[in-house]
Amino acid sequence: MVSVSELRDIVNWQDGLISPAVHFDEELYRQEQERVFGRAWLVVGHEDMVRKPGDYVTNYMGEVPVILVRDMAGQIHVLVNRCAHRGNQVCLFDRGNARNFGCSYHGWAYDLDGKLLGAPMENLLYRNELDKEHWGLEEVPRFANFKGLIFASFDAGVPSLEDWLGEDGCWWLQTMVLVDHLGGLEALPGWHRYRSPGNWKLVAENFIGDDYHVITSHAGYFKVVRDFEEKETPIRLINTNLRAQAYEGSAGYKHGCPMGMGLVVLDDSVYQNDLQQAERLGKQAVDWVRERHHRHQEALKDRDIDPYSFMNGCIFPNMGLMGFYSPLDGRHWLLFHPRGVEEHEVWQWTMVERDAPQIVKEAAAEYVYQGQHMAGMIAPDDVENFERMVETMRPPRNWRRPFNYRMQLGHEEEGPRGLPGNLGPNPSEVNQRQFYRFWRELMEAS
Amino acid sequence: MVTWEQKKEIEDFLYREAYLLDDHRFDEWLDLFTDDVEYVIPLREHVQGDVEPAGHPIIKDNKLLLTARVRKHQTGLSHVEIPQSMTGHLITNVLVEDGATPGELEVLSSFLVRQARKLRDEAWWVGRRRDVLRRVDGGYRIARREVLLDATVLPRGISIFF
Repeated sequence: MVSVSELRDIVNWQDGLISPAVHFDEELYRQEQERVFGRAWLVVGHEDMVRKPGDYVTNYMGEVPVILVRDMAGQIHVLVNRCAHRGNQVCLFDRGNARNFGCSYHGWAYDLDGKLLGAPMENLLYRNELDKEHWGLEEVPRFANFKGLIFASFDAGVPSLEDWLGEDGCWWLQTMVLVDHLGGLEALPGWHRYRSPGNWKLVAENFIGDDYHVITSHAGYFKVVRDFEEKETPIRLINTNLRAQAYEGSAGYKHGCPMGMGLVVLDDSVYQNDLQQAERLGKQAVDWVRERHHRHQEALKDRDIDPYSFMNGCIFPNMGLMGFYSPLDGRHWLLFHPRGVEEHEVWQWTMVERDAPQIVKEAAAEYVYQGQHMAGMIAPDDVENFERMVETMRPPRNWRRPFNYRMQLGHEEEGPRGLPGNLGPNPSEVNQRQFYRFWRELMEAS
Repeated sequence: MVTWEQKKEIEDFLYREAYLLDDHRFDEWLDLFTDDVEYVIPLREHVQGDVEPAGHPIIKDNKLLLTARVRKHQTGLSHVEIPQSMTGHLITNVLVEDGATPGELEVLSSFLVRQARKLRDEAWWVGRRRDVLRRVDGGYRIARREVLLDATVLPRGISIFF
């Protein structure tokens, strides 16, 4: 058992030496449910998931089941999925449309905003003294809608989401992730979910900054793509044969909430490739790629550099972002939910660009389940590595030697200037170090 | 009207398919599909009331994409199948009916698949398949397969075939 007071010594992010205990120790896991998941802003979904009054989706914040719901007045709420009486779950579906939520144990019924509507025989049994204002479903105290992406926090005292993400984080999220200036993203219905071995941070740190693993972990995928290209077989596979000029982006660098952006593309190689790929989809797709690029350049014309796209990313703590370089590819947004110290669940949904022609939207969704998805040819190889790590790292004697997070240490800022946040060399472990800086700050705060 | 002999022939086809998969004879397995096959695994969800359908399935492959999945494991670099999973495909509840098109049969079956990986890692997969089998060259080929996995949260990433 490792106590929080030891973190100063064993999470030495400055030197890139971090104890495996952060991934494998039960006590740290227990603490981080309160200190990380109880304090951070967490993504709980997208407003497209609750378009109509009565629409809801269920999700988790850390280990806590929650409901994201739009009430009859159109207001969005995040409610803890827990009956106030005995703690039974009141909503059992992945998504749906409802008039209210009822408990199956004693029949307490709640309005969509969480207010207690009534309890069976309440006048008789509670003598008209049941305080309905007090005994509603708990509403998660902080809520923020960032260009459609819904965040919530259990910490009533957390800074505003804009302050939490910082100016740089807001810029990257709004511009490069949610492409707000291009019409934004549209969520496709349905959670794609799978159980996955390993602590949730193993996958979060992978998304926030690990482009080093790609050539080894996904070598089988690359070989298949190459083989099919050489045989000139027309096959829809994610293009991996790009020679892009790409950097590691960091928002919240050295301060605040880390957001990593992996393989930020600065040249026009991906754009040129997209034009070629779009030709297979027809003129409408080509026109859209061209016009989109024009709008994007216009919107960024005051910047010294205008990144086209990014590969991977993560918003601390557990929001994974797969951009896969190209707007022709669906965005895979993934939540890494903790499920005990050595397991997590991936809850994933797909986004496509709202203004894209239908043929592009359909093709974009198809890419998702070939790639970073439970049935894809990429994600399962990552999972396999985590499973092997769990087998090795169960014995605490194997925690004594720190993990090496020292890649590009001291070279973090050797990248072009001109964008909010920091751009540095890629691959790098700068964002993993930033992840553990902030994780330690939250864990140590009393 | 499906005859008893036809039914036995189809059951035999499905059992042989299961043996090919459990023997890792994936090239021979691919030969069981027509060139125009559609292979679909829909997303399973618990939904309530009036909601939009899921935006996309878990898998929707054509023959080339199925082939790509097999080829990936044959590269020797596909970590998720190193060492290869041991699988046991148990196929049961087979129903054979006339298909919508002459020369095609609609075949329903249930499966229980245990996947064993490395020392103790495992997954249990249960579900149903709805196949369209087409008469080709005196035998049958799978022209369409829909796999309904009985899980809203999959037990692990998919690296085996159903």
